[in-house]
Amino acid sequence: MANVKFMNPFVEAAAEVLAKEAGATVERGTLSLQKSSMTSDQITVLLSLVGQVQGVVLYGLSIETALKLVSKMMGQEFTEFDNLAQSGVAELGNVITGCATVKLSKEGFDAEISPPTLVQGEGIQISTLDFPRIVVQLKTEMGDITVHLALRESPPGSESGKNYVPIAIQMK
Amino acid sequence: MTKVLVVDDAEFLRVRITKMLAGEGYEVNEAENGARALEMYQQIKPDVVLMDITMPEMDGLTALKTIRGIDPNARIIMLTALGQESVVMEAVKAGAKDFVVKPYDSDRVLQAISKAIK
Repeated sequence: MANVKFMNPFVEAAAEVLAKEAGATVERGTLSLQKSSMTSDQITVLLSLVGQVQGVVLYGLSIETALKLVSKMMGQEFTEFDNLAQSGVAELGNVITGCATVKLSKEGFDAEISPPTLVQGEGIQISTLDFPRIVVQLKTEMGDITVHLALRESPPGSESGKNYVPIAIQMK
Repeated sequence: MTKVLVVDDAEFLRVRITKMLAGEGYEVNEAENGARALEMYQQIKPDVVLMDITMPEMDGLTALKTIRGIDPNARIIMLTALGQESVVMEAVKAGAKDFVVKPYDSDRVLQAISKAIK
């Protein structure tokens, strides 16, 4: 079962990292629990966690928002979502998740994260199969970022990460 | 001119650090993984290496140990994500001069380089 106690570390981490990296102010928007497949935003950054908390984290955003963020982060204008911009958005997901895992660790849940995967293209079906996701909208002056958390506390003895939350990606 | 080798698989971070260091007057070269860093270290003999930890082909810790095996005086600063404290401790034991935690603060990177080349 998805665990809502894992949400706050990610919201706090996103607020801290976006403020530091892009000078953005984050306001928490709507919160929901979803079980059906999600339809991708224009850009989705996906990372896995393994350890005492395990599962997947997805960050969805528009290309426009991504370009504004990476422009701020690099200090130069990006008008195309090229390799460098893609790398920047993936790294942003990586740093937010890394920061969240430190917060989780302070609450007694150690976890390691995978390198980020970037999925580009609207309408791609991303499913965590029967595992529900906590979905929280983060509102910034550069646009919204939707965070999907499909995380659970690892059962005793499964800290090696063998029992992770499944994910399926179906192209249009 | 002080030569710095920036090693990170994330192109965005490499380019951003390179831009910042070049603006401060450093000569900067980039490598996208530990294996490439090893090749470039022997070619350009940098004064300082900024080395990410998690990279494909050869990770930063292995590259650190390999480079220090070739050149025991190599000055290597680890670039680390939050939550990698145990790897950082191993890197420091293996001879890393310092470490900088992501997200990078430019002043902290510059301070670590200045300290390493003193």
